[in-house]
Amino acid sequence: MISGKAIRSPANILPFFFYLSKIANPYIRVGLQGVRMVNNIKTYVARRLILLLPTVLGVTILIFAVAQLFDPVQRASLYIRDPKQLRSIDEVIEKYGLNQPIYLQYFSWFSQVLQGNLGWSQSLHMQVIDAIITRFPATLELALYAAPITIFLGIRLGKLSAVKKDTLIDHLTRAFAIVGWSLPAFWLGIVLLAFFYGGLGIFAPGRLSPWADVLITTGEFRVYTGLYTLDAILNLNGAVFLDALSHLILPVTTLTIINVALIMRIMRSSMLEQLGKTYIIAARARGLDDKKVIDKHAAKNALIPVITLSGLLTAGMLSGMVITETIFEFKGIGYFAAHAATQLDIPAVLGFALLTGIIFVIANLIVDLLYAYIDPRIRLA
Amino acid sequence: MFNKKAIGKVAAVIIAVVLIAAIIAGIYYFYLMPKGGPIKNPNTLIIATIGEPETLDPAWAYDTASGEVICNMYDTLIFFDREKVDSFVPKIAEKVPSVENGLVKDNGLTIIFPIRQGIKTHGGGTITPEDVEYSFERAIIQSRSHGPIWMLMEPLLGVYDLSELGNLSDPVEAAKVGDMIDKAVEVEGNNVVFKLAKPFALTAFLQIWSQTWASIVDKEAAVASGAWPGNKDNWVEVFAKYHDPEVPELQEADCGSGPFKLEKWEHGKELSLIRFDDYWTGPAKLERVVIKYIDEWSTRKLMFLQGDVDLCYVPRQYSSEVEGAEGIVCVKNLPTLAVDAVFFTFNVDPNSPYLGSGKLDGNGIPPDFFSDINLRKAFAYSFDFDTYIKEALLGEAKHIPGPIPEGLPFFNPNQETYKFDSAKAEQYFKAAWNGQVWEKGFKIQILYNSGNIPRKTAAEILKHNIESINPKFHVEVIEVDWPTYLRAFVRSQLPVFIIGWLADYPDPHNFVFPFMHSNGDYASAQGYSNPRVDELIEKGIAEINPDKRKEIYYELQRLYFEDVPSFIIDQGLGRHWARDWVKGWYYNPIYPGAPLSTYFYDLWKGY
Repeated sequence: MISGKAIRSPANILPFFFYLSKIANPYIRVGLQGVRMVNNIKTYVARRLILLLPTVLGVTILIFAVAQLFDPVQRASLYIRDPKQLRSIDEVIEKYGLNQPIYLQYFSWFSQVLQGNLGWSQSLHMQVIDAIITRFPATLELALYAAPITIFLGIRLGKLSAVKKDTLIDHLTRAFAIVGWSLPAFWLGIVLLAFFYGGLGIFAPGRLSPWADVLITTGEFRVYTGLYTLDAILNLNGAVFLDALSHLILPVTTLTIINVALIMRIMRSSMLEQLGKTYIIAARARGLDDKKVIDKHAAKNALIPVITLSGLLTAGMLSGMVITETIFEFKGIGYFAAHAATQLDIPAVLGFALLTGIIFVIANLIVDLLYAYIDPRIRLA
Repeated sequence: MFNKKAIGKVAAVIIAVVLIAAIIAGIYYFYLMPKGGPIKNPNTLIIATIGEPETLDPAWAYDTASGEVICNMYDTLIFFDREKVDSFVPKIAEKVPSVENGLVKDNGLTIIFPIRQGIKTHGGGTITPEDVEYSFERAIIQSRSHGPIWMLMEPLLGVYDLSELGNLSDPVEAAKVGDMIDKAVEVEGNNVVFKLAKPFALTAFLQIWSQTWASIVDKEAAVASGAWPGNKDNWVEVFAKYHDPEVPELQEADCGSGPFKLEKWEHGKELSLIRFDDYWTGPAKLERVVIKYIDEWSTRKLMFLQGDVDLCYVPRQYSSEVEGAEGIVCVKNLPTLAVDAVFFTFNVDPNSPYLGSGKLDGNGIPPDFFSDINLRKAFAYSFDFDTYIKEALLGEAKHIPGPIPEGLPFFNPNQETYKFDSAKAEQYFKAAWNGQVWEKGFKIQILYNSGNIPRKTAAEILKHNIESINPKFHVEVIEVDWPTYLRAFVRSQLPVFIIGWLADYPDPHNFVFPFMHSNGDYASAQGYSNPRVDELIEKGIAEINPDKRKEIYYELQRLYFEDVPSFIIDQGLGRHWARDWVKGWYYNPIYPGAPLSTYFYDLWKGY
């Protein structure tokens, strides 16, 4: 023990610090590494977020340029929907500046954006920002249920298929993957809807039943997030929760069946590649528990390509699922973007492009961070 | 650190629980929950259709989806008497003006509406004569380009567009225009007086005044929503701010006094109306009306079959999928006020890509190809009307002689019409261009806008019949999207085009003008001009005497047959699809959204 007296002596103080530093050194090193890592992550995230701006700008310029392939009269078709409006076509072109040079049109739009105004959508009959705010929750809710289930099932089935290679299970899962991937979403959606709703009278399309809709309209049910299952929990309303959940079953099932095959196949091939590597053979040769070898070593490394794919899949879902949203009356961002695009509604298309750009950049960022988490050899710089 | 295995297990458990809960919920709600009775949603009418409203601003709305909602939210001075298109009942006005009751004066140039007192608005106020004056003045000031207000301006100001009266940014001219608007609608005691700029057929006037663009808005509510505040001191400023705005001021506002109030509008998804309990003739029987916008037919059909939808838009080609299903009724053969026609352009733009060689050499046509009447007649005789109606429209259309649809006043059922006759067609082809057409042949392109299968079939019928007359005749049918079609149309690049016209108001003038007047919507694009026709059309709308109008419109129908600027291929017959528990429905072809929809006030659900 070191007495208090000894510490107070200046002659003994240096050896004390030396001793202390020796004890603390490994911890300090880890701490510094941690701080450095956190700083690295912060820098990385900041850099990626800064990159968001040119990415999104690039996308909008591209969309604007493509839109110019249509001449002013064609773009005026957004406003002229009936032959009896034709006599006003020149006024329409003038009014909406459709004959102005492209850079003027772009800067006019961009200056609006800087003021927080994404413009008016003629095809949706509302402000673009309002369209995004009101429609995105439907897509988000669908994606929040569909993506985790798809990814989870895809990974589990892919792993199972690889481990049970060339067995009946492998054949069945691969067949399921091929069938699932080959099924057109519109066909599967309609079949499920016809069977469950048309045949059995369960799982109606839409997001809520009419009685639950009325609760929202009359203010008895408060909408906080637009995610009705979450809002139902916040409202402590079990009936609406179950109703909203029952409306999610068919669209989520459709999305899962269509997309799970992709994750599964990538996971399977990645897993097979890992299982053939020497470190796995060595681990097995050393007598390690096979379950541990598969779960802890092979599966973990096999996840890296799956993470990339899962990120893209989730981002894709968040950008809208046109067919699923249309068939199941689950009208989210995808339905509206498609509707706007078919009518050459440039402000709406640009607004949705902004949103999609942001979603993809953030999804990529999360994927990169997950890489570093799963594989410590990967460093974010 | 998290244990990944544990996370996986927790996730698996959560997903399993959610799935099981969802399945239990579904079974509970649809199987075990006690059912309310055979009629689903007994106090709510649910309509499934396509295409949502553009706006709820009555001065802006020109589409049927908007009109369907607005006519139930707002009242007009007068309204159609149920099924009739030329008989009216008073609403906000106490009486329907007529010469007999002394409310139509000065040879029809002054029309007076006494205003009913005590009509409550959705905002809690009452409708006053000042509200009526404001409603019309605001509509004319707004008069957006490609909007419906030309119909109000034609009788009141004698123009289709305010800019025809003067430069709206010039203080002197703007003040003059403002003054004209001000004087066109005046309040005199409890009356609102309309001063017409020119004589205008009274029935047509009343038809226009019975529709959504003539809705009466509650001024206070409208101003609160950002509409013109009613100031008349600085007209340049008024026009700069409120004329032809980019966005309708009353886009989602409810400034009405009609039988239903706006409850909510979820764009692209649904719109719901709730009963206005203080409606002046008593509350409607239905508590709520929900209009769902469901583009996908399969989804719409299943909801209709399940009884979750009461009125459903059923495209003609899918009729057999729901016809005869239990609980579904269909009323057929409802004459619509829509006609389709094949049009000829007299002088096609020489730069048109649809002229082929641009010469009469067998590989194209010259720009003035259809200036020869023989060709127009040859084409008309080449069209097999019966086959078209049978095949493309499943027999649900009429073959009418001219642009005035059957069911409108002054329709001449005995007017001679074109019928498929290849011998006559050959005779006229031989006579065209002094025999050069027959000798050299031609190659022509007929365009139709994509997605319109009946128009495609019509073009294919023409192609088949014309090509079988002479092997030197070649017809190409081209499908183009609406923007491309529009561009070609505006530039007069289409030698032959097929398009339709839906009535704005049910008077013959609304059909003969676009089809035949040299300034008409179609005739001007075609380059068709006949001074005698123009004179008759202008005389027809200015004439108040019905007998004289009949003579004029009969003569115009004869001239249409004689000149063949276009030929009518069908007047559509509609179907109304509903669940059998929907009661009180009747058909008026001019109601927006008809035959599917109607005036909701008269509907209820029951057996």
